Amino acid sequence: MSDINRRDFLKLSGKLAAAMGIASTFTPKIAEALNELASGQAPVVWLQGLSCSGCSVSFLNADAPSAVDVLTEYVSLIFHSTLMTATGEQSLAVIDKAIEMEDYLLVVEGAVPAAMPEACLMGHEKFGDLLIRTSKAAKAVVSIGTCASFGGIPAAENNLTGAMGVADFLEQNDVSKPQINLPGCPSHPDWFIGTLVHVLKFGIPKLDEKNRPLMFYSKTIHDQCPRFPDYERERFAKTFSDSGCFFELGCLGVHTYADCTLRGWNSGINNCIKAGMPCVGCASDKFTAKASFPLYTKRNLEHKKAE
Amino acid sequence: MLDPITRIEGHLSIRTEVENNHVVEAYCSGEMFRGFETILRGRDPLDAQQITQRICGVCPVPHGLASILAQDQAYGITLTKNGRLLRNLISGANFVQDHILHFYHLSAVDFVDVAAVAKYNGNDNSLNELKAWVNSQLNSNILFPAAPFLPRYSGNYIENDELNFIALKHYLEAMEVRKAGTQMVALFAGKIPHPAGLIPGGVSEKVTADKIAAYSARLKKLRTFVDTAYLPDVIEVAKVYPEYFDIGKGCGNFLAYGIYPESETDTERFLPGGVLLDNELHALNAAQITEDTRFSRFSSPSGLNPNVGQSAADPGKQDAYTWLKAPRYDGHVVEVGPLARMMVGYHYEQPQIKNIIDDTLTKTGLQPRHLVSALGRHLARALETKIIVDRCAEWLEQLVPEKPAFVDFEIPQNSHGIGLWEAPRGALGHWLNIKDYKISNYQCVVPTTWNCSPRDDQGKPGPVEQALVGTRIEDEQNPIEAARVVRSFDPCLACAVH
Repeated sequence: MSDINRRDFLKLSGKLAAAMGIASTFTPKIAEALNELASGQAPVVWLQGLSCSGCSVSFLNADAPSAVDVLTEYVSLIFHSTLMTATGEQSLAVIDKAIEMEDYLLVVEGAVPAAMPEACLMGHEKFGDLLIRTSKAAKAVVSIGTCASFGGIPAAENNLTGAMGVADFLEQNDVSKPQINLPGCPSHPDWFIGTLVHVLKFGIPKLDEKNRPLMFYSKTIHDQCPRFPDYERERFAKTFSDSGCFFELGCLGVHTYADCTLRGWNSGINNCIKAGMPCVGCASDKFTAKASFPLYTKRNLEHKKAE
Repeated sequence: MLDPITRIEGHLSIRTEVENNHVVEAYCSGEMFRGFETILRGRDPLDAQQITQRICGVCPVPHGLASILAQDQAYGITLTKNGRLLRNLISGANFVQDHILHFYHLSAVDFVDVAAVAKYNGNDNSLNELKAWVNSQLNSNILFPAAPFLPRYSGNYIENDELNFIALKHYLEAMEVRKAGTQMVALFAGKIPHPAGLIPGGVSEKVTADKIAAYSARLKKLRTFVDTAYLPDVIEVAKVYPEYFDIGKGCGNFLAYGIYPESETDTERFLPGGVLLDNELHALNAAQITEDTRFSRFSSPSGLNPNVGQSAADPGKQDAYTWLKAPRYDGHVVEVGPLARMMVGYHYEQPQIKNIIDDTLTKTGLQPRHLVSALGRHLARALETKIIVDRCAEWLEQLVPEKPAFVDFEIPQNSHGIGLWEAPRGALGHWLNIKDYKISNYQCVVPTTWNCSPRDDQGKPGPVEQALVGTRIEDEQNPIEAARVVRSFDPCLACAVH
């Protein structure tokens, strides 16, 4: 689809312009190196483990490029359980064929039930086994969302499945692959698509020590908060929906690296803090980890407890 | 064996026994378990609406609303008018975008011939772009051309190319239109999936004229699309497959909790709740809800009411074939979802529901019994969308700018609450118990838990299992007929197991 859309995209991302000119053909070859994927539509296998599909839905909410633009211009989404037409054995055959060809990016949504492998099956295969087999043949592994990146809610205290993030699980199983983590609950579509384009056109982007692309995760929510002046002047909100800084209500923006407050969600229309709520740290590796560490600390509740 | 069932949410596999080309037995298996109910224990009650939303990225809004409804009750909160209306508007926008997504992006390609676009010779830009893409893919040696649309089952797709073209054009438009719906949710709830702004006491976002206008502009797009594309397309596709008004009937009993309070005391809901057993309407009594576990991978006792429900995982349990429990109403197998809401509302004589159903039956020449079928579910979903999208415009008019949408509250030391609500996929209940300011028990009974439930302790199959029995399968290697029946329920497995 076309040069028109491609031109539109060039306008939107000027700094990519020089490199984009080379991507105008559909000459798919079984690529041997990651950068060769860029000459066609890179095959992507997208698996879901202990997941809610929220990162998939978030991807569908992408604006420019849209999910349709991405699927018709950048990648060939050969496996995605929620979006693909094929069902049953026909869909699983796609994975087997892809593994044989060893030429795809693996995107993983959801955590891995390391201590209870039966907690996630696909085609009678344990998700952990499937993940190992598909990772070994992949060019790189992109963990989308907090669950795949760090374990997320499935790995929270008192969980029964021994859930963990993809990188930790693969390390335990001696699989070594280039890894990118895109935490967020859900992950923002821009984080995913921006990373994808970077991988396809320029290679793996610069990452921090937790394998997060610095272009999206280099600063805390707090540092980029529209209510930062309230914090500096010690104007603190007393309850939800109030004006002022949410620090005293347990806002986790101080500990959370992401750019949501600047970028905005759903085409930039809003974000959690703008909507009158503290940040719950959904992009943090500690998100919901401890039962004793609540997402909010509501003042009157704390007073009650002290009585 | 259909494993995995794609184009639904989550991990579902279905085993069927087929004799003489007809399904004689079906077994639904939910294959993914995370243990939310255990994770919630011992946590601050305010964590619940944030954590339970993450049960499902397709259905975060109804989970958030069911949770805060349970908390409102537990904390003794009465909403403000703006708070009630904002919740209705957030939920309304979410229903509409979700139903559109289900029809076009998850279900339609079981009927519409995507490959027909190669024959398109008209002037529509989006279709010509799609055609160019499909052709370039098919002429290339790419591993799987035109993924994710191909490969697919062979089957009796629509042969009328004009209808295929219209449906494909609307498939592409629907991608944009449903985004407008998600933006309407984000306007008043912060973001979606997983909104921040759904809280006990109302909604954290403020009502201002600019937000009303921003919602209104997008609502107009949604209403136009529902009137000119979604409803007509469902009816046109249905005309090609009249046999699906007799396929996939299911258990024939229906449960709805109702949704959209029309007053702050929540004494009346726009879409009413009730239970329809053998075509007889009964008032809902939540005490009649139990969950059986004989065939479920739980060691917890069978037959418990969710208020005292337990979820002890037992992955290797003998005879168990799924992670779903088997919810029953007074022992009855019941179906939930848009069809259940329309059936209950019709018997309740809710005026909008009664009018639109009578009108549609007259126009299409269908009988009331045809509604209880695979295509009947798609039709009920579309009719419900129309009713809700129109009602949203009226709720929007009732908002009062600058008046509060949130009332502050305190969390009592010990309390309990039940949040009975509706997700797009059907009746959704959250049962919350608080002890010493912490969650002592939290149980969710979710739409697909009802619909994809396994056999209960008496051996009675669940609604989808029953709906599959009798379905004719032309080619066992291409069981598209069974897939169509399953997808008519819009299953959501992350929800169902949680």
